[in-house]
Amino acid sequence: MEPLDQELDESEIELPTEPMLLNVGPAHPAMHGTVRCVMELSGESIQKVDVQVGYLHRGFEKMCERGTWTQIFPYVDRTNYVSPMLCNVGFALACEKMLGVTVPERCQWYRMALGELARMSDHLTCDGAMAMELGAFTPFLWMIKGRDMIWDLMEEETGARMTHSFGRVGGMAAPPTAGFKENARAVSEQILKIIEEVERLLLGNRIFLDRLENVGIISQEDALSLGWTGPCLRATGLPYDVRKASPYLKYDEVDFDVPVGSTSDCFDRFMVRIEEMKQSARIIEQCIARMPDSGPVNIDDPRIILPPKDEVYNTIEGTIQHFKIVMEGLKLPAGEVYAYTEGGNGEYGFYLVSDGSGTPWRVRIRPPCFYVTSGLERVITGRMMADVVPCFGSLNMIGGECDR
Amino acid sequence: MPTFKLDEREIPFEPGDTVIRAAHRVGVDIPHYCWHPGLSVAANCRMCLVEVMPPPGRPAMMLDILTWDKAKGEYVPQRKPKLQPACQQAAADGMVVKSQTSEHVIKARSAVQELLLLNHPVDCPICDQAGECRLQDYWLQHQAKSKRMRDEPVHKPKGVVFGPNIVYDAERCIVCTRCVRVSEELAQDPVLSVRERGNLNEIVVSPGRQLDHAYTLMTEYVCPVGALTAVDFRFKARVWFLRSARTVCVGCATGCNSFTDYDPRSQKVARYRPRENLAVNKYWMCDDGMLDHARIHENRVLNGRVKGEETTRETAVQKAAELLRGKEGPKVGVVLSAEHSQEDNLAMLWLAREVLKTSLIFVSGRPEGVADNILRHSDKNPNSAGVAELVDVLPLRSFPDFEDAVAKGQLDTVVSLGSALPQPNSTAPSKVKTLIALAAHEGPWVQRAAVVLPASSWAESDGTFVNANGQAQVSEKAISPQGDSRPAWRLVSELGRALGVAPSWRKAQEIEAAVPKTARNSSSPPAPSAGANG
Amino acid sequence: MAKHLIDLVTQKFPGAVIQSHSNHGDDTLVLEAASWHDVAQFLRDDPRCAMQMLVDLTAVDYPDRDPRFEVVVHLHSLTLGHRIRIKTRVGDPDGEVVRVASISDLWGSANWAEREAYDMFGVEFVGHPDLRRILMYPEFVGYPLRKDYPADKIQPLIAYREVENIEKLPPFGKDEGMSFGRQTHSYGQRSNEQESN
Repeated sequence: MEPLDQELDESEIELPTEPMLLNVGPAHPAMHGTVRCVMELSGESIQKVDVQVGYLHRGFEKMCERGTWTQIFPYVDRTNYVSPMLCNVGFALACEKMLGVTVPERCQWYRMALGELARMSDHLTCDGAMAMELGAFTPFLWMIKGRDMIWDLMEEETGARMTHSFGRVGGMAAPPTAGFKENARAVSEQILKIIEEVERLLLGNRIFLDRLENVGIISQEDALSLGWTGPCLRATGLPYDVRKASPYLKYDEVDFDVPVGSTSDCFDRFMVRIEEMKQSARIIEQCIARMPDSGPVNIDDPRIILPPKDEVYNTIEGTIQHFKIVMEGLKLPAGEVYAYTEGGNGEYGFYLVSDGSGTPWRVRIRPPCFYVTSGLERVITGRMMADVVPCFGSLNMIGGECDR
Repeated sequence: MPTFKLDEREIPFEPGDTVIRAAHRVGVDIPHYCWHPGLSVAANCRMCLVEVMPPPGRPAMMLDILTWDKAKGEYVPQRKPKLQPACQQAAADGMVVKSQTSEHVIKARSAVQELLLLNHPVDCPICDQAGECRLQDYWLQHQAKSKRMRDEPVHKPKGVVFGPNIVYDAERCIVCTRCVRVSEELAQDPVLSVRERGNLNEIVVSPGRQLDHAYTLMTEYVCPVGALTAVDFRFKARVWFLRSARTVCVGCATGCNSFTDYDPRSQKVARYRPRENLAVNKYWMCDDGMLDHARIHENRVLNGRVKGEETTRETAVQKAAELLRGKEGPKVGVVLSAEHSQEDNLAMLWLAREVLKTSLIFVSGRPEGVADNILRHSDKNPNSAGVAELVDVLPLRSFPDFEDAVAKGQLDTVVSLGSALPQPNSTAPSKVKTLIALAAHEGPWVQRAAVVLPASSWAESDGTFVNANGQAQVSEKAISPQGDSRPAWRLVSELGRALGVAPSWRKAQEIEAAVPKTARNSSSPPAPSAGANG
Repeated sequence: MAKHLIDLVTQKFPGAVIQSHSNHGDDTLVLEAASWHDVAQFLRDDPRCAMQMLVDLTAVDYPDRDPRFEVVVHLHSLTLGHRIRIKTRVGDPDGEVVRVASISDLWGSANWAEREAYDMFGVEFVGHPDLRRILMYPEFVGYPLRKDYPADKIQPLIAYREVENIEKLPPFGKDEGMSFGRQTHSYGQRSNEQESN
């Protein structure tokens, strides 16, 4: 390219006419870890983009076929690792649907409360990261502070902050701690305050609004056709939420609203998540109020649940029960089932095929953000390079869930 | 065909069958401990109780019992139908039997299971039967509750050495008397019996005796719990890590069908188990056969040898080819082996005819041994009949002929298959000028050979063995060839190729297809029925 | 649950339905591979079915069966609220010819889902606009979720890819790179020159 200060005739300047091929490679701050976009740019506008996922593919579905049903819990944790409790609960519900059992009431409220906390953690991460990528670092730190409170609570309950593998088929790994209700209430209140502060900071900011509003619009028909569910679909105006459409646990007994967007742009996706967090806080409050303080958390079925340890060490029946469940695996009846819950990103489903033995035959995890990411192409084609950042951020692609 | 109904399913039966035997034949499992299809009926475990509906027009046999009425808080009298043990109940045409569909049967099974586990020690972590234990399986299927006894369980002797092969644990024993019946009916040596009464029952060896007959490991095999354990297998491996290959025992010419249980991770064979084949060995194997798996790993030749020095298989093959080049004709002999499979011998025969162009074919094998009229055959080679079948045109010379020929100086070069000599003290192999041995184990052939090619044992490739009754049976491959060894037929193929003559077979399927199909009468045993211990 | 869907399809496509069940409350139809696209289109377009969303498309390997693979699709109608699972069986026992019609023209979500089924099982979707691997790298050999693919199989090392038109910057030469730090580590020749300075 010739220097511009020289006297040049227009016909002498040669400008490149082919579009530029830019590799926004897997290791890129805007690519949320592990997505590669090979883009054809004309100036700043994206003509074509090839979204390549799979850099975090760890072969979960293959590994599930090598163990027992209970050994799948750590794998599902690591799919959507920002809301692992929702994944655990989803898988436990799928197995329980296949067995045809229901967990006791205390467990249902417990699962709901923990699940909604995990959902809040997911949305805090997504919105915080989105804001940070646009340059607003402070809301990110505030939201991470909120997320850390949730993680501290999870550590208290389950022993681990993030991937806790706490769910079990037929219950949970341990009953709620004594201070759970208090802590959950406190955390929920704190987070609502944080959300309020973040809203005050961001929603009046011209730059923030200009970068998000009317950017990354997708039509409702396209979104449906692409299999979008969750906050991304709700931002297009469709109030589809698995918790309302096909309620599970006790979601039909609690009051909450489903926030819905109108323009289906990045801003709507951002705001739907903010509002969902407020609804989650409502649900948590109701769960805590209604959860019994005593009573069994695990179902009373020796074919499913491990016995208490003193029984294992001292009675033959306990030993046998422990032995059979651990060594041979929990036996799900032969057949197939598809069970779904509302994960952080939408309809998080499991298609389980069992051959009657304790080893799964096929475990298909229906990842909501796999389908959402397939729409990235549609969302950013035609837009400018800088719009990729909020668009991709608003889709909340979690690499672990997309690639498994 | 007379039939009776079991849980709404029509089961055909033969005259004289009991309910459980007829059900077993069609694959329907009625839970049982003490019944075994190959033994007499004892009916002492009471696990197979079923409800037999009375013939039309007749009342059911009812028993007066007391049941706990929770509402009243006391025992109240009640009547329940008398249940019959399916192992003793003779099947009758038109009989209606209820097993799973009867609530009395379900309660009975749970009660029997509770009583069996009442004094059972918490031994699962150290018990060899774990993973194939009926108590474990039936507890989960039929009881799934804790026991109601709060007292200390009865303690009995543990780790009692019954004999050189068997150790007994009285606490785990449910006194089903399968072992007693095996000793009496199969081994024809009633050395075990039950002593004491009630919950002090235990199995004892007759005073002054040991459990030392030829079928002691069958007592361990039939034991549904971990009371009898084999010294050979104790604490060796956990059964869920083992895979089973359907094999044939190579201990003698009976050719009992077996399972070879091996650990795929370490590629080591852990044990044998009998495989049901009513035409050959019914349900049993003798001790010599059961313990024969040790030979798969012991005393093996795993590398080629040239003049006693270990070398790679390729070098040994090349050296053997060098020694054999140009030596076709009347002074070359080939020794087949009745220890090796049809495939291995077929390959050696091909070598003799197509490559070495000789008609001096001898057969060697293991020496004769003890026979009985139960299972053991005096010919301790699995494939004598098979080798005889293969060599149809040329005369098959025996080992004495070989010694003769060697003594007369008629043989300069010999290629031999096999590791043992029928006359262990024979010096014939050392008198041969050039001996090339394809062998799996150390022994007289390997010691005297100029070149040794390492052959795989029977467990390391598929093989066909023809037993003394002329039944050809296929033994599946269990583990991969150990060390540098390869199946003998593959070694022959390499040797032939080194000498410039390639055989028509390269892969296992090809050579298996080349084995003549005569005398293939028998022996696909039925699919394994429920329960690992028959 | 919504048995009427099964009846609708069975009536409209009489030869197509091999089997149906509603175990665990999930309506399932097993279809002939030849009618796969037609039934899927009917389920999307007919106002009594109105399946706007293809929730999931995947495959399952049954090596003892012939046809070996099962392509499983879950459909959902947001307006009418019902769901259905449709399956079809394809593929020979050796897994060499595994072909079924692509339904990516009916639902956009089938595009990536079919690519994943191709990647993991080797199912070829006839009519797919861009059938290439999605989760595995292009040089991967084999189809990992097949039952005969051992989980601990090691892939061959691939050569460094040559891509046209992408200029790769050479690694830092002596005169490039950080002005601090790097020069403090001396590696043979570099340190000699350092000393000579």
